[in-house]
Amino acid sequence: MVLSASTMSTDAGHEPDEGLVATDLVRRIQAGDATAEGELVQRYSRGLGYLLRRLGATPDLADDLHQETFRIVLERLRTKGLDEPAGLAGFLRGTARNLMIAERRKTARRRTDADDEELAQAVHPAPSQLSTVLLDEEAETVRRLIRELPTDRDRQLLLRYYVSEEAKESLCSDLGLDSLHFNRVLFRARQRFKEILERHGTVASP
Amino acid sequence: MNHVDIEEQQIAERYVRGKLTPEETALFEEHYLSCQECLDRLDLAESMERGFKRAAGQDAAQLATVQKVKQLAVVAWLARLGRSRQVAALLMIVFVVAILPGLFALRQVRESDRELTATRKALEQERGRSSLSAQSAAETEKLRADLEASRRDLAREQEAHAAAAQPQGNVPILFLDAERGASAAEPTHRLRLPRSPGWIVLALEIDPPHQPAYRVTLRKAGGKEVWHGDDLRLDERDALSLSVPSTLLAPGDSTLTVEGLPPGGKPVPAGRFVFRVLPAG
Repeated sequence: MVLSASTMSTDAGHEPDEGLVATDLVRRIQAGDATAEGELVQRYSRGLGYLLRRLGATPDLADDLHQETFRIVLERLRTKGLDEPAGLAGFLRGTARNLMIAERRKTARRRTDADDEELAQAVHPAPSQLSTVLLDEEAETVRRLIRELPTDRDRQLLLRYYVSEEAKESLCSDLGLDSLHFNRVLFRARQRFKEILERHGTVASP
Repeated sequence: MNHVDIEEQQIAERYVRGKLTPEETALFEEHYLSCQECLDRLDLAESMERGFKRAAGQDAAQLATVQKVKQLAVVAWLARLGRSRQVAALLMIVFVVAILPGLFALRQVRESDRELTATRKALEQERGRSSLSAQSAAETEKLRADLEASRRDLAREQEAHAAAAQPQGNVPILFLDAERGASAAEPTHRLRLPRSPGWIVLALEIDPPHQPAYRVTLRKAGGKEVWHGDDLRLDERDALSLSVPSTLLAPGDSTLTVEGLPPGGKPVPAGRFVFRVLPAG
């Protein structure tokens, strides 16, 4: 399956087109509009934070790189703008990834030998009590969800999809399902999981 | 953004698992940077992944603890017995666990040896005859092929015997519900046979009223009985679990009939479980 650039970059009517919004922001920032800078940060802040954590940044590093990315992007927009203003999201993404790669290289250069003490401190700490409670809550939510499912086939589908990470195609073939039914089961499970979690508490932080 | 595609192709889940192509990853990352709906979807996908895996891990750990407790219960039971009974019980356990399968395997190996010797003799006789009459080169070739086949069978059996003594991973587990009402035209439970022979675990949920022990009979398509076991007991989830060698199952619809064994009473039906066995993929 390949997603085309057009399907990925066109909103289906709910929100203004990303390209138009980005172009407007880039032009206003280049013209010295300080409010546009605030709008840019507000629009992309959450996504950028998520992206940096996905790239493997620790919470502290993610905070630093988050700020650094916006600093570099804003400076560039104030002085030169962008050749393709509609590609602002791509520019943000590229900047964040480059900073992350540079950070990794920097760390790799610094580490030339193993420091036992530092290694001992670098061991991933045990999860906090709160984190453990929240993770258990997620597991309990899953159990509730599984109990509520109407058929054993749906139970098997979710367990094999989420625990064994089996591909959709092989699951559909094994369980005699079509793609539509598979999507429906997954969609309902997500909705129900969200409802149960919202009723009973919060989501654990990764 | 076309959220229909993201929903239908499970883009968020596949992104969380790192299963998107680099091109798809780039497009999706550029999209979700400004899409709160997709960021919510990603948070939910991560939460579900964590929840399912933690629940599975906890269940596996609990199962292991139960097994351990059962082992300890056996040891405690042994400890309470008198010295002579302890020795007798231990001898019985050693006999059942170690010697019985060994004897069984030895018998199979001897049978195969006998077949091999008989085939060799037949081949020798044929060779003798062919040297005298010089007429049966084709038959000799056939016997040679038979001899090779017997050798391969023997090697396979020896390998299977050795493999059975090793721990096994990736064991397929099939959770079965009892058939209710009239028999369905097609069973909902399906099991694909593994490529190489191994064990398959079947878990049968038994409805109340529960009995202290159960008898389970496995029949393949056509109703021919292939295995039965008595004195099976429910686990703490009111389920019976069986480990079955995959070689016992053949493609087609298999049936497990469960009968409760009340103390001093007649067996009572406790459930019928049908599942379709698919050939190895």
